[in-house]
Amino acid sequence: MNKLLLFLFLLPKGLYRSLGADINHLKAILKVKLMLDDRRPLSMGRAPQAKKKPIRFMTALGVFMSMIIGFMYILPLMLGDTIMGLWLYATVFLLMFSFMLISDFSTVLFDTRDKTILLPRPINERTLLLSRLLHMFIYLFRIVFPMSLAGWIFMGATKGWLAAIWFPFLVLMLTIVALFLVNACYLLILRFAKPGKFKDIVNYFQIAFSIFFFACIYLLPRVIDSQDFQSLKHTDFEWAILTPTYWLAASFTWVEADKLSSATQWISILAVLGPAILVWLTIKYLSPSFSKGIANIDTVSVEAETPKVTIQTGKKSAAQLYLKLANWLNASALGKAGFSIAWLQTSRSRNFKMRVFPSFGFVPVYFFYLITMNQSNSMVETWEKLPETKTFVLLLYMSSFVVMNLLTMLVHSDQYKASWIYYSSPIARPGEVMLGAFKAVWVKYFLPMFAIVSLFVLYVWGPKTLIDIALALTNITVFALGILRVAYRKLPFSALELMKEKGNRFFKTMFIMLLPTSLGFGHYWTTITPWLWWMKIVFIILSSILLWLLWDSYKNTSWDEVKKMDLSA
Amino acid sequence: MQPIISLQNVSKQYGDNTVLNNVDLEIFPGQIIGYIGPNGAGKSTTVKILTGVIQDYTGTVLLNGKDIREDILGLKQMIGYVPELAELYDLLTPNEYLHFVGALYHLPDAIIKERSTKILQSFGLFEHIDQRMDSFSKGMRQKVLLTAGILHNPSIVILDEPMSGLDANAVIVVKELMQVLKQEGKTIFYCSHMMDVVEKVSDRIVLIDKGSIIANDTIEVLREGSTHSLEKIFAQMTTSENLNETAGNIAQAMNDK
Repeated sequence: MNKLLLFLFLLPKGLYRSLGADINHLKAILKVKLMLDDRRPLSMGRAPQAKKKPIRFMTALGVFMSMIIGFMYILPLMLGDTIMGLWLYATVFLLMFSFMLISDFSTVLFDTRDKTILLPRPINERTLLLSRLLHMFIYLFRIVFPMSLAGWIFMGATKGWLAAIWFPFLVLMLTIVALFLVNACYLLILRFAKPGKFKDIVNYFQIAFSIFFFACIYLLPRVIDSQDFQSLKHTDFEWAILTPTYWLAASFTWVEADKLSSATQWISILAVLGPAILVWLTIKYLSPSFSKGIANIDTVSVEAETPKVTIQTGKKSAAQLYLKLANWLNASALGKAGFSIAWLQTSRSRNFKMRVFPSFGFVPVYFFYLITMNQSNSMVETWEKLPETKTFVLLLYMSSFVVMNLLTMLVHSDQYKASWIYYSSPIARPGEVMLGAFKAVWVKYFLPMFAIVSLFVLYVWGPKTLIDIALALTNITVFALGILRVAYRKLPFSALELMKEKGNRFFKTMFIMLLPTSLGFGHYWTTITPWLWWMKIVFIILSSILLWLLWDSYKNTSWDEVKKMDLSA
Repeated sequence: MQPIISLQNVSKQYGDNTVLNNVDLEIFPGQIIGYIGPNGAGKSTTVKILTGVIQDYTGTVLLNGKDIREDILGLKQMIGYVPELAELYDLLTPNEYLHFVGALYHLPDAIIKERSTKILQSFGLFEHIDQRMDSFSKGMRQKVLLTAGILHNPSIVILDEPMSGLDANAVIVVKELMQVLKQEGKTIFYCSHMMDVVEKVSDRIVLIDKGSIIANDTIEVLREGSTHSLEKIFAQMTTSENLNETAGNIAQAMNDK
């Protein structure tokens, strides 16, 4: 793939040479950059299963994902009103593409290693500039081409060859608008945030993107299938005329003029003018101030920062909350240490946020998806009938979605080497540190989310569900400690996440899948059989006993057990 | 006098590879031991055994006459360790990291706060105590690691390349610190490749090569009356190559003829 792209983009050698570039340099730089892109996780595939794929297939995976997204987009093109369909297509395309660029492009654009690796070498400036431009083009091409492929074929097949010729124009213009949006967005971030915070904000964009992506996959087809949606007309939306994607959609009148009003045809002029102005704005105003901004991102010097508040005056209040909690919830010093490190590390690690935060968003999306499965009802009906259903059991257990990610990220870290400190410290039972760390993520991430879900359940289904909430809470906690006890008997942030885990993985996975399912089904069974309500109390007692046993066993984890786990995984 | 640490017949193998081969070594309290050897000689393995990180060795290690296997936690509590190329959780601030490490050594919060404040002040790092360490230079991190290593007032301090990344002034501070700790009766086990420093600060020099200790004496005895530097003695004992010739060969490689 890379070789082909490299070959294609290096075809106009004469042109590059006449621009003053050194072709050998150019080729060497691009080759390495494309290789690096391959080895960098993608925003779309950043889920754990993507990580397990062999690294060199990253590009292929990215292309494949883009194609899948492309297929999703063509749904609106099937609408009766072509302009409406195109407008929606262009809007979704633009939003998705911009989101993707904001979350991924920054790593490409701001590869500050260039400063130390390339700048000291004898490479002329034009080669460097050209290598950046080409790299950017290849990068965009790799996303845009597969993403628009489905739409292109669909338009060509349904609207004829003229439409097929027109389509690439639409995509090119969309790319330009997206680039403008991304530039403007970066600039806004740079203006309103400290340079050091830039990466954190991009991180939040990535998180939002993965939730948005997930929501689109699950909810878009459902919305499009509904009757109301099928009869949409672009004339129903007068404000649409103000959006650039509408201008672009209107340019379809060049292909099929007869059906449309002349006003729409006039608007289509903006399809060319608009992007042209945006390009001019980008080059003239955005890019220069932007490069200045970038220069500061990685050069935050320690000395430059004013010394913060010292310990004596103290940063009390919020910052000290974790210390209070650590003292309340842990009897031993080791427990406190584990609690503090987990609390602080999870607040600051971007990787942790990237992996854990999206799963919070998945819970409501997935719940919405499941309750609307019955297509015959409208949204309002579904909502009104909700209290009659027993879906609250499902919702309560769905909050355990976050548990897997939460626990994986509790023991794994890129900085796993820093865990040497546990091994040279006088720790009698590492289990105390481990349990302290578990308490921290439980209190900080799981319980707040569970509380929100519980409030929703209480609001919709009433106070009789209190007993179910209690049972679900103990069950999920049993599940979490079960995972830790069986699969992750490790010190916090002490292991590198491996591509593949050895050993009795199959049994671990089976256990992890079976435990919550059986607990959940047991719970559900007592709910659908009214005379079995007393079983819930029995279950709570049984679950609590199990919880106590697991808790104790995990807390008493010895060094030998930790080492055994290290060897097996 | 009883040695504070004594290694008797200590061996360690990784598969077929013998890293330590029947090592015997006695270390007395209040001494600075310079522990030197070529790359891969077994220095790090010795250090890991002394810190209780590696426990599957053969032979005996005695701490104050008692086998460390019987009280590995007691050993760890007595030892302060500053590893080479040490990683730390750099998303934390020095204050948070030191509280974390202090808790692992069961120190009360008040003591951790008092000691870390004083030590960081002396290192000139106090104004950064509430800043995240991910923007710290190598030297600044090293100062935090040194602080973490001595926070619990250990009686044996094991320093593995403690000067790496430190600026010239901080190097002086650390060298002085070693002397002061020694006067307080602490034992210092100092591993380094900086021969000139080892030569100056150490009371005894222990040279390990291919898993065996090949020299263990004061610098005066090692010199055998000559005026050779430790660097020269080290080269004589650990390599049969002519190092000048090696350098010549490297330079020659670039002359393509």
